[in-house]
Amino acid sequence: MDWYHWMAIAALLFCLTSLSLHLLRLWRLGNHHDFSTPTGKPSAAMPYAFVGAMSPTRKESAYLHLPTYVGGLLYHIATFLGIALFFLFLVGIEIFQWLMWPLALIMIMGAVSGAAILVKRMVKPQMRALSNPDDYISNLIVTLFQLATAAVLFWPQLFPVYFVLTALLLLYIPLGKLKHAIYFFAARYQLGYFFGRRNVWPPR
Amino acid sequence: MKTYTDEKKAAALAVLTTQADAKLITHMNSCVHCGLCADSCIYYRAMPGEKYVPAKKVDLVASIYRRYATTTGKLFPKLTGARNLDDATIDEMIDLLYGACTMCGRCTIHCSIGVDISYVVRKGREMLANMDLVPATLQKTVDAALETGNNMGISDQDYTDTLEWLEEDLQMEMENDNAKIPLNATGKEILYTLNPREPKFFPLSITAMAKVFEAAGESWTLSTRMYDVTNYAYYSGHLEQAAIITQRLVDEVHQLQAGKVVLAECGHGSRAFRWEGPNYIQQAFPFETITSIELMLQYIREGRIRLDPSKNKEVVTLHDPCNLVRSGGVVQQQREILKASVLRFVEMNPHGIDNLCCGGGGGQLAMSEYNDRRMSIARIKAEQIKATGATVVVTPCHNCVDQLTQINVTFKLGVQIKTLAEIVADAIVLDK
Repeated sequence: MDWYHWMAIAALLFCLTSLSLHLLRLWRLGNHHDFSTPTGKPSAAMPYAFVGAMSPTRKESAYLHLPTYVGGLLYHIATFLGIALFFLFLVGIEIFQWLMWPLALIMIMGAVSGAAILVKRMVKPQMRALSNPDDYISNLIVTLFQLATAAVLFWPQLFPVYFVLTALLLLYIPLGKLKHAIYFFAARYQLGYFFGRRNVWPPR
Repeated sequence: MKTYTDEKKAAALAVLTTQADAKLITHMNSCVHCGLCADSCIYYRAMPGEKYVPAKKVDLVASIYRRYATTTGKLFPKLTGARNLDDATIDEMIDLLYGACTMCGRCTIHCSIGVDISYVVRKGREMLANMDLVPATLQKTVDAALETGNNMGISDQDYTDTLEWLEEDLQMEMENDNAKIPLNATGKEILYTLNPREPKFFPLSITAMAKVFEAAGESWTLSTRMYDVTNYAYYSGHLEQAAIITQRLVDEVHQLQAGKVVLAECGHGSRAFRWEGPNYIQQAFPFETITSIELMLQYIREGRIRLDPSKNKEVVTLHDPCNLVRSGGVVQQQREILKASVLRFVEMNPHGIDNLCCGGGGGQLAMSEYNDRRMSIARIKAEQIKATGATVVVTPCHNCVDQLTQINVTFKLGVQIKTLAEIVADAIVLDK
């Protein structure tokens, strides 16, 4: 292993430890004790909270903003795929040749989507007003990570740059809004619990 | 010159730091500032602008959380937009959290992540209440409840006089001299509550419900000591005052040895007592609590009341109160009741848990300083009603009735606004 591999591993450990601490805190605090008498079941609402309620047909944030929704979807698919590839690169597993182009295409589509979201944030006054430096940095660093992932599929000599960039991303994740990678699931859980107890979800 | 002392700020910050639980921490860390919640908010729809984007309200509270409860926010506040709880931030909080949100929760349902935005707004209001910064008009309503036992400050004499003539009305309408509006009767199955707007402005809804009880042969009573279903401290965010108001009704159930509490048609009142009340007083209620809507449906299903829908011939639409429906899970019951009570029922679009707030929630009706905004957002509900072609708008909430009545006048809709009990009472077939 080269120095940049170790650098990425150290960053990964920092990231995983930090995120685990966040998760551990949520786990330790547990559900807020609710003294009211439930009329529904949180267990019935959970699948809806994570699947049905996320459907683009259910959410205005999706069906009123389809280009952004599709862009966001591609961006996240590429991010998760990029993380999976990072692990493969780290342990030195070679990617099948025939997979190179499809993988690169997904990463590039994700990066283009990320760039479009970044431009939207910079151009729209309403988005600018809502944004802080973390929003721009998070968007930019993930987009660059996707581009770098696509690049190293064809140019292995770029691995040092790729691993440095990935290490930066991993170091940054727990510091800013990218930690929504875990809080997203916690938020869906909280909604499922809340609306489930009150028999609002799943809708009838 | 501001009076936001460090002591008060510390009391506000305690909501985000020492009192924070998993739910709060989750929602403080989840917003990604995508801004896609904007279109789900009636304020933003009526007055497009960055100020009214729900995420902005979340960020007001979350940015303070980041400043005081996260390492990044403490070390590099500018990086994450972490804000000090300073005078400017506090003023913005008052304006946006009290004056530009009905806490209807529609943005929560549509949030791309799942941030419980109305919960965050409630937490922000709690912070402001801890600093004694509840708008005076809203606090006055809470104070009236604390001092007189009802939020409209109705005297015992006025209340009992009103109920006496309502009882005479009831007897005439039912052609039955034995029909009663029982007061302070002990050992009854039901303690029924009222929104004080009923004895004050809409007394016919009391007669309507009394008629339903009478027709169903119910064992029920009203109280003179504590009948107020509302709890405006839920809106102000003052937890101790909310607990006092809740405890009074709980005590009255015990005092009258009632079997259960039936909550009048009041969205926030039913939510504040049924769902938030046990948490305010930190104990489960040892009695059943249901809404009058659920009870009326029970009567219909059990055949305890018979309805003739041809007695309500007009086209009727339904306005869903946010607290009852989106945050209370009473969604289909009112529809089933209406289908049994009227000939022609049309839904608004959207409706149910996706319905648009009328603009009267969140304590807006009490806060006259925000009247202009309240009536600006009301245009959306007016257009929704117009599109149905209905001549009667039914809503099981007296706050909504009040707001819809103002909408009716302002936007010249020419419709009638009724409660569910009034519609049911009109359709009841009495056994002679």
